[in-house]
Amino acid sequence: MTELAEGPTHVGVRRSLAYWNQEFQRIHSPILRYGFSVVSVAIAVGVALALRYYQFREAELPVLTLAIALTTWYAGAGPSVVAVLLSTACFAYFFAEPIYSFEISPRDLPYFLVFVAWAALVASFSAVRRRIEDSLRQARDNLLVELEQRRHREDEIRKLNQELGKRAAELEATNKELESFAYSVSHDLRAPLRHMVGYSELLQRQASSLLDEKSQRFIRTILDSAKRMGNLIDDLLAFSRIGRTETKKTEVDLEQLVKEVVAEIGQDMKSRDIAWKIGALPVCYGDRSMLRLVVVNLVSNAVKFTRMRRPAEIEIGCVDRNKKEVEVFVRDNGAGFDMQYVNKLFGVFQRLHLPEQFEGTGIGLATVQRIIHRHGGKVWGEGAVDQGATFYFSLPKAQDAAERTANAP
Amino acid sequence: MTTLGRILIVEDDPNDVELTLTALTDYNLANEVVITRDGQQALDYLYCRGEFSTRSTDNPAVMLLDLKLPKVGGLEVLQQIKSDERLKMMPVVVLTSSNEEKDMVRSYSLGVNAYVVKPVDFHEFVNAVKELGVFWAVINEPPPGSVKK
Repeated sequence: MTELAEGPTHVGVRRSLAYWNQEFQRIHSPILRYGFSVVSVAIAVGVALALRYYQFREAELPVLTLAIALTTWYAGAGPSVVAVLLSTACFAYFFAEPIYSFEISPRDLPYFLVFVAWAALVASFSAVRRRIEDSLRQARDNLLVELEQRRHREDEIRKLNQELGKRAAELEATNKELESFAYSVSHDLRAPLRHMVGYSELLQRQASSLLDEKSQRFIRTILDSAKRMGNLIDDLLAFSRIGRTETKKTEVDLEQLVKEVVAEIGQDMKSRDIAWKIGALPVCYGDRSMLRLVVVNLVSNAVKFTRMRRPAEIEIGCVDRNKKEVEVFVRDNGAGFDMQYVNKLFGVFQRLHLPEQFEGTGIGLATVQRIIHRHGGKVWGEGAVDQGATFYFSLPKAQDAAERTANAP
Repeated sequence: MTTLGRILIVEDDPNDVELTLTALTDYNLANEVVITRDGQQALDYLYCRGEFSTRSTDNPAVMLLDLKLPKVGGLEVLQQIKSDERLKMMPVVVLTSSNEEKDMVRSYSLGVNAYVVKPVDFHEFVNAVKELGVFWAVINEPPPGSVKK
């Protein structure tokens, strides 16, 4: 808020004058207002008579109009009319020839009319001025209220901002903590695992001739489990890294990306009979390596869950719903899933199949969801048991995203 | 094999030390191996201080450095080595459990010669250590002033 730049004394005087002016104008009781009118005319008549006594000629006109003006100023329109009538009467009685009678000599008639006109003019001007002042005062009061409200709101915003800053700092601290947690997981959890695997291998090597088939199997189980745990840790770390690393967004040609991934995965699946169908895909806006991870996860899932199909059918395409977003789907004719468990699909380490049926740690779709959410998109799945599954994700279109970035402040 | 460079291993975990030594022994690379158990001891060795004050002043042909170490951490050791005129030519290989990008970037920016993440799989681990030993202690020609037999 900027205060008016004025000297403090000057402001003080103005303020106290304004205060008293206001106090007088706040006379609202009609008795007081009309009383004011009568008293001011009476005083004016008294003063005019006193002046005449001391031989001041023609003083009554200004003194009476002054009384009318004051009445209009402080008491309003009604009392000013009363003041005009009263002073007219008094003027006729006390000051217009013949004195002490309401009669007016023809000689004094113009003089009297000028007075009446003059009084009416002053009264009407004052009334208008008063009305304007009233509405101005009203406006100022509204403004003050608004100002107060705004100051209040600003305080609130400032408070919220502070709170937000505090939250951000807390969040940063939590993030740091999480990072060091992930770091120690990555380093400290892996070491004993490596030792378990290493020493089991050494034991296998050292004692394989002494151990029977059952003991050999136990060792193999230890090894498998340790390796599995290794994979889980790696997946979990990769998953947490997605949340922590910055996204480097550029325009990404989804069609090219999908073809790349399919070629790569198809290379490893030469023995399989897979009918690929890749539709036209648009250019979207995002982090290429992360989106690649999304496509890899969805496509390899489709490949994995169509293992028993001859041929397996995998279709990747897009649905153009609206101008802002692009919706991509990956459809297969594989094992599918029960829609009853659709909510569990995207949870970390959530699996809908037994490890003997389909391998995996259960982090792929969680990773997909996290990446798509970080891009401001949505991900969902549809399916039925033994009738295949379709996974969808939406992403902002390149054009729209570019516009948004350009319009951003 | 004509000559064998000295390998300095900096590793706090006794199991990792044993597994690394096992891998090196399998390929007859363990003859010239020095083990130090923390960053301080490694620096003592390199600067011929304390218990190592009587050793010959030649540098090892390669240093296998773990990052998470008691007392002085691996990255600190690396920083000291790479800012020392006498030591900065010595090849340093970070051999760690951490595959955090942060550690990798920091190590390379400090001038590490190689960065190897210890594989969980034992065969891969043995293979990695063997390859490292063969490359750095046998194939690679170390800078002048390194111990060779």
